[in-house]
Amino acid sequence: MKERVELLQGTLDLIILRALATMGPQHAYALTARLEQVADHPFTLNQGTLYPALVRLEQKGWIKGAWQKTEHGRDAKYYGITRPGTRALEQQTDRWRRLSGLVEKLLLDES
Amino acid sequence: MSRLRRCALRFYNVLRPERAEVDADREVAAHLALLQDEFQSRGLTPEEARQAARRAFGGVTQVKQSHRDARSFVWLADAAQDLRHGLRILRRGPLFTLTAALSLAIGIGANTTIVTLATALFFRPPTGVTDSARVVDIGSNRGPGGFGPGSYPNYLDVRQRTTTLASAYAYSRFPQPMSLASTENGIRADRVFGTVVTTNYFTALGVAPVAGRLFDVSDSQQPGASPIAVLSHGFWTRRFNRDTSIVGRTLTLNGAPFTIVGVASAGFRGTGIRASDVWVPMGMAGTITTRGMAAFTDRAAAWLLRGGRLTPNVLIAQAAAEMEVIGQTLAREYPTENRDTTLRLLASSPAPGSNGPLVAFLTLLTLIVSLVLAVACANVAGVLLARATARRQEIAVRLTLGAGRGRVVRQLLTETLLLFAFGGTAGLWLAHGATSLLSSYLLASSFALDVPLVVDAHVLVFTTALTLVAALVSGLAPALQGSGADVATALKDNAQAPAHLRLRHLFLGAQVSLSLLLVVLAGLCGRALQRAGSVDPGFDPHGVELASIDLSGYTGATGPRFARELVDRVRRLPGVTDASVAAVLPGGFETRRQGLTVPGVSPPNGQRFFGVDWNIIEPDYFSTLRIPLLAGRDFRAGDYQGAPPVAIVSEGAAAQFWPGHPVQDAIGKYLVQPVFTPAGVAKGSLTLFVVGVAHEVKSTSVLDGLARACVYVPLQQAYTPSISVVARTSRGQRITNELQTLLTSMNANLPIVTAQTLEESLAFGLTPQRVVASIAGSLGLVGLLLAGLGIYGVTAYVVTRRTREIGIRMALGAQRAHVVRMILRQAMTPVAVGCALGLVLAAAGSRVLTAYLFGIPAIDPVVFCGVAALFLLIALSACSTPARRATRIQAMDALRYE
Repeated sequence: MKERVELLQGTLDLIILRALATMGPQHAYALTARLEQVADHPFTLNQGTLYPALVRLEQKGWIKGAWQKTEHGRDAKYYGITRPGTRALEQQTDRWRRLSGLVEKLLLDES
Repeated sequence: MSRLRRCALRFYNVLRPERAEVDADREVAAHLALLQDEFQSRGLTPEEARQAARRAFGGVTQVKQSHRDARSFVWLADAAQDLRHGLRILRRGPLFTLTAALSLAIGIGANTTIVTLATALFFRPPTGVTDSARVVDIGSNRGPGGFGPGSYPNYLDVRQRTTTLASAYAYSRFPQPMSLASTENGIRADRVFGTVVTTNYFTALGVAPVAGRLFDVSDSQQPGASPIAVLSHGFWTRRFNRDTSIVGRTLTLNGAPFTIVGVASAGFRGTGIRASDVWVPMGMAGTITTRGMAAFTDRAAAWLLRGGRLTPNVLIAQAAAEMEVIGQTLAREYPTENRDTTLRLLASSPAPGSNGPLVAFLTLLTLIVSLVLAVACANVAGVLLARATARRQEIAVRLTLGAGRGRVVRQLLTETLLLFAFGGTAGLWLAHGATSLLSSYLLASSFALDVPLVVDAHVLVFTTALTLVAALVSGLAPALQGSGADVATALKDNAQAPAHLRLRHLFLGAQVSLSLLLVVLAGLCGRALQRAGSVDPGFDPHGVELASIDLSGYTGATGPRFARELVDRVRRLPGVTDASVAAVLPGGFETRRQGLTVPGVSPPNGQRFFGVDWNIIEPDYFSTLRIPLLAGRDFRAGDYQGAPPVAIVSEGAAAQFWPGHPVQDAIGKYLVQPVFTPAGVAKGSLTLFVVGVAHEVKSTSVLDGLARACVYVPLQQAYTPSISVVARTSRGQRITNELQTLLTSMNANLPIVTAQTLEESLAFGLTPQRVVASIAGSLGLVGLLLAGLGIYGVTAYVVTRRTREIGIRMALGAQRAHVVRMILRQAMTPVAVGCALGLVLAAAGSRVLTAYLFGIPAIDPVVFCGVAALFLLIALSACSTPARRATRIQAMDALRYE
């Protein structure tokens, strides 16, 4: 149970950083919508998970939030990836590739 | 780096939560607005869109909470919140907070004071010493457990044979009072305390001089060869105003000149518990003490305390083992002097290896102060429990709203801890005051104890730990009880809570029994003091002036002459009706005890000697103190050195020596007194002719509580240098100044060691009883008062809880008296049980006390019954008001109550 949460946490950080790196600054709602859209199968992102992740990333200095107007004139907090965030994304991506490669290999060997 | 940054930000958000909170609210609101826009664009009405947005988003509160969890340390924020809440609660009940904190402060302060005292006496190495952990004390003992002094020859052997000690030093057991002569270079005559030390004393201890130099091994240890002295920093400051030019000047101590070579550093107070003003080298022992050359040569003369510094890399256990072997060897080699004598080695402290009355008295005080703290804790726990009960509804609401039980317990415990923190801080402050008071008192007392009492880090740790443990012990049960509220019943106001009451009654009973124990102990000490005041001591202590002087500078030939002339001149002082001199005064701590034999009579129980107290007096001692002579005569001028030795025996002594005879028969009988050299070696005996029988003197002090057999001998035939002038004045006026002037005119070098009245001296002998009585009494009364408040609280609570029931009973025709009985029964049961338990405890406690202190009656019916009645009376009056309120309950009001 605990491992799953941790894995999810790490993965979520990676997903958010990746999304912000490709799409530019986004607010939390747009991020949710984007992630649901990208996912192949129905995937609902719990807000109770997304917000802590944003806080965490912002406190680590990997993303930075700023209040801006949306195209419809609404206030929203846009998160953009920072330079340390970009570096962290590279490292995390690397790590994820190695990890998933290992898991893939293990799963193949097993079958 | 990023982790550190996050951690710092989380701390920041604990301290300043407002901005982040506003930001999070705004972000969530924006998110909802965007969702609503989305739904509205799909064709929903604004209201439908708003609701749909809320549904899609999920729990707003939960998201905000998870936001908080992520951005700060919630547990820390909770703790801060608990602290704020606790402060608010405590401020809301200032009376409770004050009384509880005060009772805790008294309990914790008393414990801290005793621990400070015990640490200073037994566990703290001497101050001002380099690497004091490597310094050890060496003690001799005959039989198990002792830690006494040894002789110079034995010291030299230890010093020579040890390999585990880099250096071994020795010093005279207590600083001796010495007379400092006035000289033309501006030094006034004074009484100073001097210690004789080996010349390696300061180098072994690593003490630094602040002026001049200290002794070192180059100073000759040969008898009489090094007339030099080192001053203590305190004495140098007090007498010479820190004048560095004092080095090189001459002091005349007990008539012998000494050159001051230096001053020891400020922190160094010597290695014992009594303050020393000057140190002189071992070689001068023969000159400055009455021991003469025997000080150096007599292996049986045990007058030196010894210590040493461990060789590097040697463990204290190794040194102790070696010392034991050396002790055994010395006992074998010198079987006459060292028979059954062993050597022990311990880490250095002011009162090493002590197991005498000091330890017993401290143990007793420790027991009492622990009791006090227990009472305070029981009281606070009881009140906390009552408050937890009163707050059942608040707590139930918290639980209903989703607070975890752990969280509620944490909050209640925080309040308790806060309360104890106040109590502990105030207690430390109290202890600080008490220890400095105690320090100055000990220094000013006739013992001149110089014990550096400091509330140091060790004591601080002890107090903190004590406070925490006490807080947990008294806070945990109420907190668990409080948090265990059954939500459904607690929310209903009239719920009965039998478990609560049971625990509350338990604390109340404990509190009553412990307070009762304290008050009874105080009462017993009071009875002892009262007895001491009412008992006829056998002499008249009113209007007698005392002045103790030390004639160490005199010899066995000149001393008695001087004493005789002094008494004659004191008698001629205006206002003096009678005067004499005595070595021992009734009621003090000092006794001279020595055995004697009686020709033709064998001592009881197969002993070799009759054990008696001795006193050495000048003529007119009995008339000065108004002790009746029952038969025979007083000493007179004819009883001089060289005339047949005479003695006067006390009534009790006569009865003991010649049982079955009237006391008059003692006249003309003989006593045989064994005679020893100053070193304690037997050298023949002296036959004393009994010339008189004196009335019994009952002393009331701790040590010689009973009237003990006493033998008086004349000073002219048995000279001792340490004497007290006793003078009865016509109207009880003080004549200290006249005495000092007289002494100065006779010998400018002779100061008065202590000056007081006989009544003051007697009162001093009762100090332990007074201390126990005042500590136990004041705290017991505080406990009693707190118990009264507790009983009132419980009864009022019971009445409120049972309002409806009582109303119904009254409506159904119950008598008022019946209702009162019912309430009283419930409230008084724990009190009665507590009282009974307290009486049993007190009976056991008084046995312990009787063993320690003289004059304590074991079971004193007046005290026991009186205190129990007092407690019951206070308990009754405490619950009478709520009980009366119960009888005024109207049935209709009670039913409408909800």
